This record gives sequence, structure tokens and C-alpha cells, in this order.
Amino acid sequence: MLIYLPIAEIPVDPFVVIFMGAVVGFLSGMFGVGGGFLMTPLLIFYGIPPAVAVGTEASQIVASSVSGVLAHLKRQTVDFMMGGFLVAGGSVGAVVGIFIFRYFRAMGQIETFISLAYIIFLGLIGALMMVESVRALLRSPDAPRPRRKHRSVEWMAVMPFAMRFRRSQIYISPIPPIILGFLVGVLSAIMGVGGGFIMVPAMLYILKMPTNVVIGTSLFQIIFVTAIATVLHAAANQTVDIVLALLLLTGGVIGAQIGARAGRRLKGEQLRALLALIVLGVCARLLFGLVTPPASPFIVVGAP
Amino acid sequence: MRLIAILWVWFMLAPAQAADLSIALTDDRVEVDTGFSGARLTLFGAISGVETPSADDGAGVDIISVIRGPATQFQIRQLEKRGPIWMPGNTHAIKDAPGLYLTNANRPITDIAPLPDQAAYHLGADFLTINAAQDDVEAADEAQTDAHAELFAKAFVSEAEDTGLYRDRVGGVEFKKGALFTINVDLPANTPVGDYSVVVYLYQDGILLGRDEAELVVNKVGIERRIFDLAHDQPVTYGILCVVISLFAGWIAALAFRKS
Repeated sequence: MLIYLPIAEIPVDPFVVIFMGAVVGFLSGMFGVGGGFLMTPLLIFYGIPPAVAVGTEASQIVASSVSGVLAHLKRQTVDFMMGGFLVAGGSVGAVVGIFIFRYFRAMGQIETFISLAYIIFLGLIGALMMVESVRALLRSPDAPRPRRKHRSVEWMAVMPFAMRFRRSQIYISPIPPIILGFLVGVLSAIMGVGGGFIMVPAMLYILKMPTNVVIGTSLFQIIFVTAIATVLHAAANQTVDIVLALLLLTGGVIGAQIGARAGRRLKGEQLRALLALIVLGVCARLLFGLVTPPASPFIVVGAP
Repeated sequence: MRLIAILWVWFMLAPAQAADLSIALTDDRVEVDTGFSGARLTLFGAISGVETPSADDGAGVDIISVIRGPATQFQIRQLEKRGPIWMPGNTHAIKDAPGLYLTNANRPITDIAPLPDQAAYHLGADFLTINAAQDDVEAADEAQTDAHAELFAKAFVSEAEDTGLYRDRVGGVEFKKGALFTINVDLPANTPVGDYSVVVYLYQDGILLGRDEAELVVNKVGIERRIFDLAHDQPVTYGILCVVISLFAGWIAALAFRKS
């Protein structure tokens, strides 16, 4: 059985797509990550045009973030004020990202651009995670863990308009959150990711937000910014395939449930090492695709 | 005077006596349901004026059908190695190439029609006139540009053959009782919508005996087509709708898997 994807304009086997959604859902449930940075490359490997993969992923992230956002709203672990500044920066970032996306698309280089962006980010993050988790695994359990410094970063202390974020219990300038939101918004629009993998560490280590509000606030920003990115991709590039998004979501929610259960059986360090391996594997596969001579040396695109 | 009258009558009747064929479509409006992998188009034809279209096998008579889709703008790029990676090079615009080009014949076209006919009537995708102009012409000199254009035109046809948009097929032609025949043409799933022309040629011993033309319109139906239309006609509405659907679907999923 084949379904013709209306926007990607290729026929796909819906069960294969649902299965792909389930695999990424499983991984994201297991590791507690969004999964956009795995889903987009997987879609490209399957033959979805990269531009459609990115646009569609934005709308799928909206869908798969709903349950998390609702849960955190209920537990009151969202810093709305911080979230507001992040979304403000993120909205502008998404618009800038779409402009960059359009520019490379008009040049006919969007495929190469997306692949390169992924190779760089997956390579960096995979390597960092790998080093960190291997160190943690090698460290003997008795040895004292390095203590986190609680001093606020110096360059942030001198920024103007400092204000109190009550939920986060910090007193900082809104400029760093706006810049952070902006950068993640650009990435979100270009790569079809939520950006949690950058947002969460940045909130913890740069903004020094307490752990309990980080995930909720990050999800709050993600759902808004990916929603904006979805509308922008649809309006500017016509690359959001809602049929593909719904198929992926179907697999994704099922996979995430199973993955969350599987994740409880593994230790944090083991999980991170495993995720790092997967991330580096995807990165290597993308790199391989760029450096090997293509099967056909020509690319044809057509608009009736 | 009488001679003239006889000549006139002979002249008027002659075409009716000469070999000819006429074709008809089951429906001049083909609706491709995009949920399936394509549609089948059936042409009916009748041969007249040929003495031996043998009742069983149509011995000695050859049929070629040419289906031409709406003129379409394509772009082609060659992947070039820059440093370690392969990336697309300059754009060549393919202007007004057929969006679909399918030929069917009862045996290989090279055995049916002489080469000048194949070229004149574009019997096969290789005989299409494809114009591949480089978008940025300032860079290259003219001779090189022409050579490139030809290379890209050839590459375009071979790519279109790979994706099933251009196809020369032996088969699909069936001779029925008497002078009747049918041609079954499979339209691929990526068939473009628009106005099509169908031309059928009748050959015998390498000589063109007659031809007939028909026109048809290809539409796409089904939910996929509606989504495509909405996404392209009202992209902002479509985008907002996508977000609303995603939020709703995510909410349903959250309800379905809520910890009980």
C-alpha cells in the first residue's frame, strides 16, 4: 500500500513512515530528547526532499510537544516571564532562519546547506556528549563529583535592564534569554528541530536556571517557536506536509511510550553514551552522503 | 467540363478510400487519484482503407501513440565536486518541456518508422526538442554554452526517463477484431495536471498511412490534491491549519496515553 504525500509529492509506504516515527519516538522517550534532530535526517535518508523534511518536522514537533507542555503547565514548572523573552527572541530568529532558508533554496543549495548544518551540529554535540559520558562512566563511583559553581557568569552581571524572574529565582538581564531564543529560533527554522538540545544546557549553565523549571520553560518556547516556524515554512516555501507529519506523530507517540519505559532501566551515563553513538552515526551517514559520488550526477526540479 | 467533375469527385472521395485511422478516448477527462500509484488511460482506434489489417494480428500494420503533457518549466543542475563534497552547480532552465511524454507502439519504433519520421514527429523522448539554457549566461562563451545546453538537454531527458515522466514503451497496443485496436497507457503517479494531446500514427512497411489526434485533460482528485491546492493557493491559511491540526493531534495523543 502506498500513500501519495501531497507536498513532498512522492508515494510512500505509510507503515514505513509510522515505523520511522516510532523509532525516533522510542529514542526520544528513552533519552528524554525532542528527536527533531534525528527525525529530519531520517526523512532525508528515506527520500523526502530535505526542504520538506525540515518544514514538516516543525509541525510534528508542535504536535509532540503538546503533552509535555500540558504536564509542565499543570505542575507549574514553566517560567512564563523567561519563556516570553525566549519566544520573543525565537520568533525573530525563526523569521531570520526562514530568510536564510529561502535564500539557499533559491540558489538551489538548500539540500547541501541542511546536510552541512546537521553534520556540524550533530558532530559537535555527539562528540561533546560522548566525551562527557565516557568520562562519567570511567569515573569511579566513590570519587567526589566536581561541584557546580553557583556564581553567575560575569559578563551577564554587567548587562542592563536586570530584572527578577520569580519562578526561576534569578536576577538577570533579559538580553541573554532574548539572544539565546533568537539563536535557537534560527536553528529551529533552518534545521527543523525544537532546539532543546541547545536550550536546556544553555539555561542550566549560562542562565543558571534551576533544573525543575528548565524543561517546562524550554518546551514552552519550543511549541511557540516551532508553531511560528510551521506557518512561516508553509507561507514562504510550501514545504509543510501535514499528512507526513500526522503519520510520523502516530508512530512517535507510541514509540515514546515504549521508549520511556525502556529508558528507566538504563543509567544516565549509559543513556547519554548510547545517544551520542546514535547522533555520531547519523552525522557520519550524512557526511558519507555528501562525499560519495552521486548515483546520478544531475538534479531535476520542476514546477508545472 | 465532365472530366473536371469526375476529377473533383475522385479527389473528394480519395481521402476516404486511402488508409486512415481514427481514435477515440473513453473519457477526455482523466482523473488521477493520487492515493494510487497512477491511472490507466485507454484509447480506442479504428483503421480504415487498409486491405490487410488481418482480423487476428493486424499483420503488416503498426501503431504508435504519443501522449504529450502540458508544457512545464524544469530546472536541472549538475552535481559538482567542490572540495570534499558534492554540491549542485549552476542552474539550467528547461523551458516548456512536456511535463509527461509517453509513447506506446506495438513493436520497437525504430522498426516501424524511418529515422526522418521519428525526428519529425518526435517519436520517442530522445527526439524531443529540449532547450536547456543556463540561467547565468554571462560567464561562459557561446560555443561552450551551446555544448553545455546540449549536454544538459540530454541529461534532462535521461533523468525524466528515470522518474517515469518520459517513457517509450513497446506494448499496450492490442489489435481487436476487424480493424479495431486499443492502446492502454499507464499514467505514473507523478503525472502532472493540465491539457494533454494524444497523437496516434498508423504505419505500414515503414510508410506513414495516417494519423489522428485527440485532446484530454488530466485532473487530480482525492484528499491529497485538495491539500496540495490549499497549500499552494492559501499558504498562510494552510500553515495555520497545520499548527491547529498538530496541536489537536498532540492533545489527542496526550489524552490517549495519559497515566491512568
